[in-house]
Amino acid sequence: MLNVKSKFKITSIVFAIIISVVLVGCSSSPEDDNSGKKDTITFWHPYGSESGDAIAAVIEEFEKQHSTINVDAVYIANQGEGQNEKLLTAIAGGNPPDVAYFDRFEINSWASQGSLEDLTVLAEEAGITKDRYYPFAWEEASYDGKLYGIPTTTDARLVYYNKDHFEDAGLDPENPPKTIKELELAAEKLTIKNGKRFERIGFIPWYSQGWFYGWGWSFGGSFYDEETNTLTANDPKNVEALQWITDFAQKYNVEDISGFTDSQGAGALDPFLTEQISMKIDGNFGVANIEKFKPDLNYGVFPIPTPSGTDHATWSGGWSVVMPKGVKNKEAAWRFLEFFGGEEAQKIYNEVYTSFSVIDSVNEEIGYKEDPIFKQFIDILPESNSRPVMTEGSLYWNELATAVENSIRGIGTPEENLNKVNEKVSKALDK
Amino acid sequence: MKTHKKKNRKLLKGSTTAGLLFASPWLIGLILFYAYPLIASIYFSFTDYSILQPGKFIGLNNYKELFNDQLFWKSIYNTIYFAVYFVPLSIIFGVALAMALNMKVKGMGIYRTIFFLPTLVPHVALAVLWMWLLNPGFGLVNDILGAVGISGPSWLGSVTWSKPSLILMSLWGIGQPVIIYLAGLSDIPEDFYEAAEVDGANWFQKTFHITLPLLTPVIFFNLVMGVIAAFQQFTLPYTLTQGQGTPANSLTFYVMYLYDNAFKYFKMGYASAMAWILFLIIMILTAIIFASSKRWVHYQDK
Repeated sequence: MLNVKSKFKITSIVFAIIISVVLVGCSSSPEDDNSGKKDTITFWHPYGSESGDAIAAVIEEFEKQHSTINVDAVYIANQGEGQNEKLLTAIAGGNPPDVAYFDRFEINSWASQGSLEDLTVLAEEAGITKDRYYPFAWEEASYDGKLYGIPTTTDARLVYYNKDHFEDAGLDPENPPKTIKELELAAEKLTIKNGKRFERIGFIPWYSQGWFYGWGWSFGGSFYDEETNTLTANDPKNVEALQWITDFAQKYNVEDISGFTDSQGAGALDPFLTEQISMKIDGNFGVANIEKFKPDLNYGVFPIPTPSGTDHATWSGGWSVVMPKGVKNKEAAWRFLEFFGGEEAQKIYNEVYTSFSVIDSVNEEIGYKEDPIFKQFIDILPESNSRPVMTEGSLYWNELATAVENSIRGIGTPEENLNKVNEKVSKALDK
Repeated sequence: MKTHKKKNRKLLKGSTTAGLLFASPWLIGLILFYAYPLIASIYFSFTDYSILQPGKFIGLNNYKELFNDQLFWKSIYNTIYFAVYFVPLSIIFGVALAMALNMKVKGMGIYRTIFFLPTLVPHVALAVLWMWLLNPGFGLVNDILGAVGISGPSWLGSVTWSKPSLILMSLWGIGQPVIIYLAGLSDIPEDFYEAAEVDGANWFQKTFHITLPLLTPVIFFNLVMGVIAAFQQFTLPYTLTQGQGTPANSLTFYVMYLYDNAFKYFKMGYASAMAWILFLIIMILTAIIFASSKRWVHYQDK
């Protein structure tokens, strides 16, 4: 039997142990984790599977070359495209990761909020210059003439088409549509509809990567005047493009189409792979999916048609690595950024993940220019557009998506809806 | 005697301190993570605040701007539409289901489990499941409708049907209130029914004169909770539409738009103003329900 005193003693000891365990668990200074003097930098990224492997490969090589720096890669779900609330709150709370993988599209709005470290001087000292990258990638990573991110990947959009379907429908598979009219005719011939159900659908303008930016540019429109910082969402050419999409939606009945698109899966169930859709706009990232699940698919790619059949346009997005404001280990973080943006890491990353580098020579080295499909994507890259580089990019994107949604469902005319976008986003920009 | 009292007070004082100490993690949590953000958000609702930079005081501008924001009104409309249909339906179905599950039938435990199980499914999984069920192409719902000769709508793809679809989905998770109704039902004394039976009351009379009146305190509770939950609808439509509120913003609910403003557009001040408006709406509605409760809620011991 224990007396009260010794009971108290035991309880105190247990408490002391618990408290010390908790305290040790909370403190994670690099010295605790590593023997020897090493800097540990934290790197947040949103990628799993192949892209995660690509990131791991880059880190492995980096750590090999920088023996004093440890990279602690942390998977954070849902980063990018306006879903950065974890990074946002980490920066606001003064405890951000040293490096974050970041959608380049958002650099402008984040930099304008003062939430990213200015990399201009560091880049200059390291000899990293504009001409190393595709022009749009550098532009997207800059705000107000200063550099805030190191570009890492890019992409482009083309129309994928099923060559077998073309033959079935009496179309020439080696001569895909160039003009909007030809595209319309091909879509009509390829579509097989039974009542309200599509057995096969030729084309859906807004499906997959068929975002409105691509259509606006293809029709010769523009979205933003950089010099005057004014929006041109309601450019007559854009209105024309949206009108065409709306007519298309009405012709095939938008609700029947959404019934079709609702039922479509991703991966192996992508309707282009199950041959339920004959043409779709997609990025180069669509190729990996085909190779994985249906390597014998007889397909090709062609540029998004335009009214005239010339001056084809596309747009590119992509990622970058950034240093959030308030980083503790700036020196080590910069080493990692510098490495990630360099040719060596670019090659490692984009080979593992089969994505495009932002450096033209790397894409050539990987052999993309010899591949019949990838070649066409790479060829269009130097002239590709980036989405308007401005501080209200996310709002603009969402508002345009809403304008398309409303127009194809007959809620307001294309012109009215684009006027509304212009008004709303302009107001936000003026603030 | 005196010393005893003194000792008692001392003991009491000691135990108060100890009590406060023991409760302190919760108290500190309440102040840090509840009270402070709450008060701060009142202030932020009067500022132009981006989270990353200190707020700039702009008076009532956020509220004025909200008044002219079409999507704000649209999201209010969507939310009220949902609440107006969902709350009454959930009460009617909930009570009916609870009464069915309160019958003395063999294997009732299994039935009760079956109806409660869906509430354990995470909302994200629930959304995916229903996307399949409501699929216009091969979904079970339209197949069943087709079997009786009805050509079903495209549900989540249609502006008209997207909200009814969501209400249908939400009713799936009715198990939670049903459990509370069941508890309420088992609280009704058996002798009330026996007395009624002696008087020759039939099932309808027993239901409408005994069961429902005595269940009103529980209905009242579920009504208040249901209204609050309906106005905070978020996970299900957010998952279904990948945060876009498609088709054509017909599933953009109030809290979704609030979230967009806070975390997508750096408009935390604007979002705070929205949060306070939501708070006021819910508070007023709850007050109305409470005021009306005197007329229809019956407590046994009164």
